[in-house]
Amino acid sequence: MIKKILVAFDGSEESDKAFTLALDIASKYSAQVLVISVARPPEPPIAVEMGAVLEAASEYYAKQAGGLLERAASLGISPRFEVRIGHPAEQIVLLANEEDADMIVMGHRGGGSFLQRWRLGSIARRVMNYAQCSVVVVR
Amino acid sequence: METWFPAAVWLALALTATLISIWFRIATALSEIVVGTAAQLFLGILVGGALVGLDEPWVKFLAGTGALMLTFLAGAELNPDIFKMKWKETTVIGLASFLSPFLGCAAIAYYVLGWDPRASWLAGVALSTTSVAVVYAVMLEFRLNTTTYGKTILAACFITDLGTVLALGLIFSPFTIRTVVFLAVSVVVFIALPYVTPGFFRRYGGRPSETEAKFLLLLLFSMGALAAWAGSEPVLPAYIIGMVLAGSVGKDHVLIRRLRTVTFGLLTPFYFIRAGSYVSVPALIGAPVTFPVLLLGKMVAKFAAVYPATLVFKSPGKEGMYTTLLMSTGLTFGSISALFGLSNNIIDRTQYSLLVAAVIASAVVPTIIANAYYLPRHLLMKAPEEKANPTLNRHGKNSATPTPHGDRP
Repeated sequence: MIKKILVAFDGSEESDKAFTLALDIASKYSAQVLVISVARPPEPPIAVEMGAVLEAASEYYAKQAGGLLERAASLGISPRFEVRIGHPAEQIVLLANEEDADMIVMGHRGGGSFLQRWRLGSIARRVMNYAQCSVVVVR
Repeated sequence: METWFPAAVWLALALTATLISIWFRIATALSEIVVGTAAQLFLGILVGGALVGLDEPWVKFLAGTGALMLTFLAGAELNPDIFKMKWKETTVIGLASFLSPFLGCAAIAYYVLGWDPRASWLAGVALSTTSVAVVYAVMLEFRLNTTTYGKTILAACFITDLGTVLALGLIFSPFTIRTVVFLAVSVVVFIALPYVTPGFFRRYGGRPSETEAKFLLLLLFSMGALAAWAGSEPVLPAYIIGMVLAGSVGKDHVLIRRLRTVTFGLLTPFYFIRAGSYVSVPALIGAPVTFPVLLLGKMVAKFAAVYPATLVFKSPGKEGMYTTLLMSTGLTFGSISALFGLSNNIIDRTQYSLLVAAVIASAVVPTIIANAYYLPRHLLMKAPEEKANPTLNRHGKNSATPTPHGDRP
């Protein structure tokens, strides 16, 4: 029985597909949907710049949440949104543990460039390695 | 023509640095320093010349204003309430975090590297810094930023940086009647500002003419001029002005945003690219052991002083260790100190290059290691609890959730 689904959302097309699938599963199982977006500080974090980056990320995700809410409402689902700060894989796994999620749904590749992926590694792979619940990676 | 062409070159470098920072998701300041170094290296190899306009007065002005604005905004991020509430803890931890690497690295530079006394003191100052941003980022990740422990450590970082700018502003200037005038005026201004500024902003602020920005720039330039007249460093008053206005201006997000736009869009690229252009790659290659020695000295000295201090104030064990290590990072004030030393002939270009390399490494190495050997830190932190409380939840996994440690305010 799936009671709570955690969706990793970064604004990319893949994460949008993940959200759609999560809504589909949630409507079938009457599950709760929790959406996590992670703002990643620049490395190394520099005075003043970091605050600006995090503010911009939070605002971006707040705007995105509006559209997602409308789509979820049409299916009678009220997702909860959470913006975390840090490494995306770390924060996704952490929130899944905290919320005792039954499933994590995420895109195969986020919106990052090839260079970002090279530096940060595959978020999906890290989540699959460390998550303590089922992980669905949407392609 | 002679202004616009160099300006276009500098902005092209700034844009390149920004794109690199976006592609690699690294800090723009770091990218700008590296681009400045690379540009100078290639120009040196290809045409044997310096970066166009490097020592032009207008480039120096924009770079200097960038440093002033950056230190002001950094000071304005202080949380004055926690400082008032926990002033003993923040002062002890902050001073320990400043004094130990300051004295330790100065001693290494003097006794091990054989630098002259003034250069050694400058090395101590440049490597005494702590990056508030690095510590804050980790606090946010662990969600310790809302705990008293997290706030205390953050406020302590401001004390460390205050120690750095005070040392920079006072050690290398001759103590004359000008110093006395500078200090006396500064004390009056710093006491008056928190009372005068909010009233002035209420009366004249909120207009399209940007009265607030002009008022703040006038303050920074006036106090900077006074500091320079006294033979001191203009970033000293800028940082303290930021701190004393943190409770008023620092809370005005709209104003801070407008100031950030000007600072990052125009000013700091000139500062960081200029700082990077003075780094000599051949000098670094010629002394490959020196900057790791300085870096190690900084990290050991920070750890030796700060970790015991955090234990005294009952910090949570593993986070205490982690945040202590992070307090040995620092880029902004380290590079400002090194450039001050070079500009005032306290250090030569080789010493500057070594110091900047150590400063950059102190900011970069911990994050490189963290990414290369990625582990879910919250699960590692939870391990001892799991042993003590092996309660399993419905998935057969441990139910203990990693909650932020430390007492809530």
